[in-house]
Amino acid sequence: MIRFVRDMMRVLGMRCREHVVLFSRQLDAPLSPGEAFGLRVHIVYCGGCRRFREHLRHLQSLGQTLALQAEIEPGLPEDVRERLHARVVQATNKN
Amino acid sequence: MTESDGPSRVIPVAKPALVASRTSDAREIAARRWIAEHGDILWKFALARTRSKEAAEEIVQETVLAAMQGFETFSGGSTERTWLLGIAAHKIADHFRRVRRAKSPRSPAISPDATCVCATCRGMFTEKGMWACVASKWPDNSQSEAETAEQAEALRACIDKLPPGQSEAVWLRDILGIPAAEVCKAMGLTDTNLWSRMHRARVALRSCLENKFGLRKEKGQ
Repeated sequence: MIRFVRDMMRVLGMRCREHVVLFSRQLDAPLSPGEAFGLRVHIVYCGGCRRFREHLRHLQSLGQTLALQAEIEPGLPEDVRERLHARVVQATNKN
Repeated sequence: MTESDGPSRVIPVAKPALVASRTSDAREIAARRWIAEHGDILWKFALARTRSKEAAEEIVQETVLAAMQGFETFSGGSTERTWLLGIAAHKIADHFRRVRRAKSPRSPAISPDATCVCATCRGMFTEKGMWACVASKWPDNSQSEAETAEQAEALRACIDKLPPGQSEAVWLRDILGIPAAEVCKAMGLTDTNLWSRMHRARVALRSCLENKFGLRKEKGQ
């Protein structure tokens, strides 16, 4: 509980420059419960950070669209696969 | 040697040529398996980044050959697929370094300072670390597939402008959705390296998209 409050107060005392770093980090690693709560409280009254988080979510969703587009592309073409196998054999023989 | 040989028997040392041959065989078998199991994803990754079949083929080939060379270095800390994608990411970054060097200064990367979303401010934040201005709302794309595709294309173009290394990290992490810990292992980065690289990239992408969507909200308007 003490750690929760300490983390929350630390985040609430930060500048927006530091908040955006946390918003981004949150996508890669979980924040502590106190940090996450501090950010949630902060965006209630900070329009700039709220918009930044909204943009990050938009970026993530467009990223998923790109992933889907890449997924439906055809895989390794047969001729490329054959040349690749030949290159592997060549590299093996060289060693 | 059989199990009945017992522990006291001296194990004959294999001739170096034989060992080399066995290692080569193992490498070739592994390479064939990588092509069969991961060839498609490596190809799609390389093609999505370079948009050139020739470049993608070269990258996939270099990736498999490099993986054969570093066969023994695969620690198993990440999945085999992530390890290969990490090698491919380095090869793609090298490719773009070569291309940019050849084209420079025609295709500049996004400047790290180009993170301001207003016409009147010089950066995202004031000297006190507060927002210099609030960015505009981006157009909703949830209702139209065409709009979504257009925005995704805009994002792809922005990713292409990121410095090599950053764009590959974005592809692995935010597009292919590979867990951060695996991306770190694949790209040889620490957690904090990756966080800061991803943050810089996302801020630059946001600024780039803000410009592309043409919704710059200038102060005083």
